[in-house]
Amino acid sequence: MANKFVLTYLVYLPVVLLLTLYVARSLFKNGRVFMLDIFRGKTEIADSTNRLFEVGFYLINIGFALRIMEVNGYWAENLYDTNQEVVETLAGKIGGFAIYLGIMLFLNLFLFMRGRRKSNANRMPRPVEPTAPALA
Amino acid sequence: MNLNLLAYLLFFPAMMALAVGVAQTCHRHGRPWMLGLFDNNDVLVDALNNILLVGCYLVNLGYIALVMAAWENVITIEQFVGALCQHIATIVLVLAGLHYQNIAVLLLWSHFKHRARIDHHQHQP
Repeated sequence: MANKFVLTYLVYLPVVLLLTLYVARSLFKNGRVFMLDIFRGKTEIADSTNRLFEVGFYLINIGFALRIMEVNGYWAENLYDTNQEVVETLAGKIGGFAIYLGIMLFLNLFLFMRGRRKSNANRMPRPVEPTAPALA
Repeated sequence: MNLNLLAYLLFFPAMMALAVGVAQTCHRHGRPWMLGLFDNNDVLVDALNNILLVGCYLVNLGYIALVMAAWENVITIEQFVGALCQHIATIVLVLAGLHYQNIAVLLLWSHFKHRARIDHHQHQP
C-alpha cells in the first residue's frame, strides 16, 4: 500500500500558495489607501512602500508555509496510508497556517492604522487649550 | 472502517458556508457604523472593511480546519451524530462570540467618539 505523503504535499502546496496570494493581494490592494494617507497623497512613495511590504509579506508567509509542510510522526507500525489521515493532517496544517495568516493580516492592519494615526497627528495642528475670553 | 470521512464531508462545507454568511453580514451591515466612526471617509472605510472581511475568512477557516484535525475516531452512528453535533455547536458558539465581540467594539468605539465630540463642542464658546 503506497503511502500518501505525496498526495498530501500535492494538495497542501497549491492551497497554501493560493491562500497566501489571495490574502496578500487583498491586503495590499486595500492597504494602498492607508499608504496614501500616511504619505499625504504622494502616490509614488506610497506605491513603492506598499510594494516593498507586499514582497516581504510573500517571503515570510511562503517561507513559513514551506517550513511546516513536512508530515512526520508516522512509523513502521502506523503507516501514513489512509485517506482519513490525509484529510486530518491537511486540515491541521492548512488550518494552522490560515490562523497564522490571519494574525499576520491583523498585525499589518494594526501597523497601517497606527501609521495613519501618527501621520494625522503630525499633520493636524495640536488643539489649543481654551483660554478665558478677554474682558472688554 | 470509520465514519470520519463522511463526517468531514458534511461538516466542512456547512461550517464554511455559515462562517462566510456571518462574515458577509458583518461586512455589509457594519459598514454604516464604520462610516460613522471614520467621519464618512468611504474610501478608507471600504478598504478597512475589505481587509477585515479577509481576516474573518482566514481565522474562521483556520479554526474550523483545526477542529476537523482534532476529531475523535467515530465508528457507530450514534457516535457520529453526537460528535458532529458537538463540534458544530463549538463552532457556532465561537462564531456567536466573535460576532458579539464585533458589535461590542463598534458600540464602544462609537460611544467614546460621541463623548469626545460632545466634550469638544462643550469647550467651544
